[in-house]
Amino acid sequence: MMDSPVHFEDFYVGQRFTFGHYELTQEEVFEFAREFDPQAHHLDEQAADDSMLRGLSASGWQVGAIAMRLCAEHLLNKTKAAGGAGVEECRWLKPVRPGDILRMEVEILEVTPHPRRPVGFVKMAWNLFNQHEQVTRIVTTPVIATRDAA
Amino acid sequence: MTMFWDDVAVGPRVELGSYLFTQDDIIRFARKYDPQPFHVDPQAAGGSPFGGIIASGWHTTAIWMKLATAHRVKVSDGEPDAMISPGFEDLRWLKPVRPGMTLHYSTEVTGKRALASRPDRGLIITTNEARDYDGELVMRFTGKVFAPRRQHGD
Repeated sequence: MMDSPVHFEDFYVGQRFTFGHYELTQEEVFEFAREFDPQAHHLDEQAADDSMLRGLSASGWQVGAIAMRLCAEHLLNKTKAAGGAGVEECRWLKPVRPGDILRMEVEILEVTPHPRRPVGFVKMAWNLFNQHEQVTRIVTTPVIATRDAA
Repeated sequence: MTMFWDDVAVGPRVELGSYLFTQDDIIRFARKYDPQPFHVDPQAAGGSPFGGIIASGWHTTAIWMKLATAHRVKVSDGEPDAMISPGFEDLRWLKPVRPGMTLHYSTEVTGKRALASRPDRGLIITTNEARDYDGELVMRFTGKVFAPRRQHGD
């Protein structure tokens, strides 16, 4: 297991972090879909089988939120980082199904120190995998991290 | 009734409705999906650069989906087509969303793209926004949705 980065200086381009073991239940898929994305292919097995995605799948917005959860818990809450301001690109590559076990591989794409203030910007790719293959890729806008004052 | 890619027109902007974010709602979502201190802990949030609890950006976008889905049900003749998407681009959370704020959501078709690999479907490109009471932009993203193309006989 890696040492967690804390300050901006602890990040470098090409760095990778792997973490998470998120078992997505059918009940969670239904619960999210009922509240935020009540389409038949997330809620009804018959309709889902007939849809383009060929079977029940989680809302893409739930998949993004689970990626966020894994990164908050395993990476961002351990750093001196102050929240993200967006996503440059999110690609839902494969459907995420009830019963899938999700894990995250974060890749550091860019590190840019602020020219004047004691902070820097860290751009990341969040690569989410299920037990078989990559299911989603999210490239964040640069996240602000505090520099080590010491 | 199927909405074909061929028949979708660019513009105008469509209002999807508004949503009030309560503190309970914000914390409930964030405990499950975005447990950073400034989303779940009022005291820690007070000492953060945000000066108080703010909603997870993923909550702000999930509410866009909720309102967009409800809107499609309202305007479609029968069961609406599935919105199936390969992803999105340029999502920006521009202003913090605080408890008690109401956001107004909209969508607009801004472009269409044929798919060389899939002659039976095309992509519809949308610009999607949430604005606050003063009309200031709080969230935006570029969406993409698949739609079937007309074949001979359709």
